[in-house]
Amino acid sequence: MKFLLLFLLSLSSLFATLNVQTTYTTVAEIVKKVGGEHVRVNTLASAHYDPHFIVPKPSLISKLRRADVLVMNGAGLELGWLPPLLKGAHNGKIRPGAKGFIDISNAINLIDKPVAVSRAFGDVHAQGNPHYMLDPYNVLPVAKLISEKLSINDPSNASDYAINLVKFEKEWSSYLEKLDAKMSTCRDKKVLQYHELFNYFLNRYGFKSFGNIEPLPGVSPSSKHTVELIKVMKDNNIKKIVHDVYHSQKTGKFIASKTGAKVLVLPHDVNSVDEADTLENFYSFIAGQLCQ
Amino acid sequence: MKRIIMISLVCSNFLYASSEVDELKQQLQEQNKVIQSLMKRLDNLENIKQIATQKTLSVESKPKQSPIQSYDYASVKTKNISNSASFSQKEYLPDIALIINSSAVGRNIDNEKYSSYEIPGFISDDPEKEIPFNPDRGFNLNYAEVAMSSAVDPNFDAFAVFHMTSDEFEIDEAYVSTRDLPNGLKIKAGKFKSAFGRYNEKHQHAWEFSEQALVYAAMFGPEGLSDAGIQVQWVAPTETYIMLGAEAMQGTNEQSFGYEKGNSLYNTYAKASIDITDDTSVLVGTSYIHGKNIEGNTDIYAADLTIQTQLSSYSSLAFQSEYIYRNMELNATTARQDGMYAQLVYKYNQNYAAGVRYDTLMKNNQGDNNLDMYTAMIEYQPFEFSRLRLEYSLDKSKYYDGKQKDVQQLMLELNVAVGAHGAHSY
Repeated sequence: MKFLLLFLLSLSSLFATLNVQTTYTTVAEIVKKVGGEHVRVNTLASAHYDPHFIVPKPSLISKLRRADVLVMNGAGLELGWLPPLLKGAHNGKIRPGAKGFIDISNAINLIDKPVAVSRAFGDVHAQGNPHYMLDPYNVLPVAKLISEKLSINDPSNASDYAINLVKFEKEWSSYLEKLDAKMSTCRDKKVLQYHELFNYFLNRYGFKSFGNIEPLPGVSPSSKHTVELIKVMKDNNIKKIVHDVYHSQKTGKFIASKTGAKVLVLPHDVNSVDEADTLENFYSFIAGQLCQ
Repeated sequence: MKRIIMISLVCSNFLYASSEVDELKQQLQEQNKVIQSLMKRLDNLENIKQIATQKTLSVESKPKQSPIQSYDYASVKTKNISNSASFSQKEYLPDIALIINSSAVGRNIDNEKYSSYEIPGFISDDPEKEIPFNPDRGFNLNYAEVAMSSAVDPNFDAFAVFHMTSDEFEIDEAYVSTRDLPNGLKIKAGKFKSAFGRYNEKHQHAWEFSEQALVYAAMFGPEGLSDAGIQVQWVAPTETYIMLGAEAMQGTNEQSFGYEKGNSLYNTYAKASIDITDDTSVLVGTSYIHGKNIEGNTDIYAADLTIQTQLSSYSSLAFQSEYIYRNMELNATTARQDGMYAQLVYKYNQNYAAGVRYDTLMKNNQGDNNLDMYTAMIEYQPFEFSRLRLEYSLDKSKYYDGKQKDVQQLMLELNVAVGAHGAHSY
């Protein structure tokens, strides 16, 4: 009986799907599209929490221990939590430099690259703004990179990954047309943010961000800065405050109450809010909120 | 590719610049033919490659930088004067972090007397004993610590921590660990902190309370179990986190070991963790350490429990407790002692945290039982890399001139970290 079980187990491992771990949920959706039936995708970080600060629970180590491929955001976003997990996982397949280690920021031209880097300016990302998945136009370059890398890790299904990519490209291109059409109806394009989290989306559709509720990246709001922001809001007639799901909205709501603006809570990843349950719904929800 | 060929051909032409013009023209024609045939072959190859990947992609990924495209041959030749960067190695520098820890202490015992404390059965009343953290009433610069880490090659990582105080330089840790062993194995060799339990592996600035846990201070001293040796760890390929570890160490820790004739310490431990809910995780561990002291064998048994609940991105509640039992053969007797601590830390938000800890040495056949310590702290972190901690402790475990005396202490500790980002551990 045991032998039969062992035999079945070894048999199933022969036809095993690729075990892919992603750090965040949005990328996981892209991997599902490109990988199709050949991949099993898991995500380390909960979409409800600040992507910079994920609690490195031991259960995440065992997820990484069993992974064939790790797809990470890169650009410093995982710097505070992923390295010890990777070290603890003892998995050579996904160590940096191995073929199973995929940093998708390699497919992206990052914006907001700081001219000078010092923590005197707050928690600045030296390589540029890492929240690039907020730009729906970055989905396809990422999908292309993932398709290439999956083919390298699983050459026997390379043609499927290529076909899935072509299908997805078609699907996504027509979605982008619809999204662009929707965004072109947008009139009021002046916003305030909590953190420079939505810059990629705002830049893509010509929004102007007039400032951040946090005085410096990673620094909690201060009353002095808040007073300044209220003045900026009034002077420029800004009616939208773009907020993430994980910071306290206290300061944002206070500013809104003083200026007649509205706090828009936007997802930073798929599943950050209930409505953003798929890749398309994720971007559509952001568009709908910004463009109402 | 085509351009490389072109440029190299142009270059080769310069070499024969003294040849006659007719000859050159002839050569150029021949070479043009060669170029054309090469281009054809290249085109063919590219076509094959495209067929292999089944399609061409409509979407541009990050534009690949072509070094040839922007390569202005003539101008570079004249501008390439300074060679200062030819041997630049700064890209190979290891990640470096600097940690500075200092404190202001108020205590109901003067400095001279404080260092002569005794915990009967554990710590002798030697007035020269080392008190590395917060020894003085008033101001203390506890240490500046430099941590460096880097990959050595595809096979090894190196990590070192240099601990510097006003009059001492110490290598806290310096080890090499494997990067690429199969089957979930990892080997570490050098000087390192033992990974048994929860507390031992952490450096002082990563402790949740500035004052060391009593049971660790009593059984292992201020640095814990840290020694030259070798460590093997294995992580199981299971959904439940299971890690088994074994260590062989020199055994120089005088508090519990200190055998001097050879390496003598062997340590095994197991850790397991599950998530009860998405936001609540439990970690349990158990360890067995066998070694020798100058007079006989020492056996240590330990167990630990951690429960952590995340309330939001920045808010959490964490309970942690460890129990350690020691059986130590001495000349005339066998010391049977145990102790434990239990702590609760509440992180309110990104900036504030508070915690309480209860320490006790329960069983002690070499002195008094039930030696307790109570600690409470409030923490303010204006930014991720700086921390102010106000900590009060009431220590009922210390003896002066043979008599127990309550030590009360109020301490404000400032800790900053600059340089490479030290990731948070669980």
